Amino acid sequence: MKLTSEKQMNKFHLGISLGLLLLVGLICFLTGRSFLSLHQEEPIFPSAGLTRQFRLSHYLPNLSHTPGDTRVYLFEGQEKGGNILILGGTHPNEPAGFIATVVLIENLKVKKGRIFLIPQANLSGFTHNDPFEANPQRFFLPARQGIRWFRYGSRLTNPVHQWPDPTTYTNPAGQKLAGTESRNLNRAYPGQPKGSLTEKVAWAIIQLIKSENIHLAIDLHEAAPEYPVINAMVFHERAAELAAMALMDLQMEGFDFRLEASPPNLRGLSHREWGDNTSALAVLLETANASHGRLKGKPSVALIVEGRDNNYVRAAKLGRLFVPYDERGIPLSRRVARHLAAVKTLASYLGELFPHQKVEFSDYPSPQELLQQGFQPFLHSPRQER
Amino acid sequence: MRIIYQLILLWLSLNLILYLFREKRFSYQLSAALVLILFLLRLLLIK
Repeated sequence: MKLTSEKQMNKFHLGISLGLLLLVGLICFLTGRSFLSLHQEEPIFPSAGLTRQFRLSHYLPNLSHTPGDTRVYLFEGQEKGGNILILGGTHPNEPAGFIATVVLIENLKVKKGRIFLIPQANLSGFTHNDPFEANPQRFFLPARQGIRWFRYGSRLTNPVHQWPDPTTYTNPAGQKLAGTESRNLNRAYPGQPKGSLTEKVAWAIIQLIKSENIHLAIDLHEAAPEYPVINAMVFHERAAELAAMALMDLQMEGFDFRLEASPPNLRGLSHREWGDNTSALAVLLETANASHGRLKGKPSVALIVEGRDNNYVRAAKLGRLFVPYDERGIPLSRRVARHLAAVKTLASYLGELFPHQKVEFSDYPSPQELLQQGFQPFLHSPRQER
Repeated sequence: MRIIYQLILLWLSLNLILYLFREKRFSYQLSAALVLILFLLRLLLIK
């Protein structure tokens, strides 16, 4: 009798164990599938003005077939002129820069000069999304027909692609930083050709700037509303005149910007190292993104796209923010419009200051129209191929 | 380096599976299963 009972108990435990193992397999399958889906690149539909699309490994062959080998879009005019590089997605959790470059790629035509666009500078960072932040993996925007999806990634390179982090990180420019910053593209300049994945990407971008004789390089970012360097144009000292002239125009257009000089002892950042290591005029632009901040409430797609958050309204009333913030929030369309307005003005003044570096373009997405009509007129249909 | 890391993960995963079958208390089995998920995901998804 006792033996039968023991056998029954053993069978019961075996059943439980097998059941749990099956559950483990199911959870691994579902979460693994979700994780791997983040490696799928979102389609981008370039305008008829695109001259060439290639990968960043063009400038550093050993980056080829790595998770950092991101897409580069070149728009070249018939006439020779200036060369401009616009970078989005250095930090994949700052979507305004990424979407601003996508909107440009899908609409722009260049008549004179060349414009290089990299929408996802840290491509690896788009393949994960900081699980402890509970951010959504994707967000959605209305397109001409239908809805487009875009990934909302992490500030840092995916640890699956670059690990382990050192305890302290000394970047290629010699600055000591926290270990996790080894995966921050905007601390890795000027990069190293045989360094970590992030350093290779930084090196390849520097090589692009040098070999393509880039005159103006713009890095598009976002920051939390409680961060002091916000709604800002951070400029390398050689770009001071250009930034000051552009700022006045932008203020008149109704976009409130502040100028911030790139600190000479803050090394590894784009506005510092691009300016010091290449002949390009380097500028970094910041907008205010509530979904990026520490005071935000529940993370959601709506928070990313509409930028409305009650905690930030309260913080603004308490005078804790560095930007005006009310119940209307700061929507993505407004943040992208700011970037587009600033890029256009900077490009225009580049030609004013250096006539042989003039860049002329058409079909530039109007920031004012974007503010009024949203993304729909500027984003290509998700299905129709060009 | 990666293969060593994967072998360690495989060894720990197999031990967890063994523990899952040996252990009689359900709460302990469940704990082992939860840890096993993390180990297996890391083992199978590492690039």
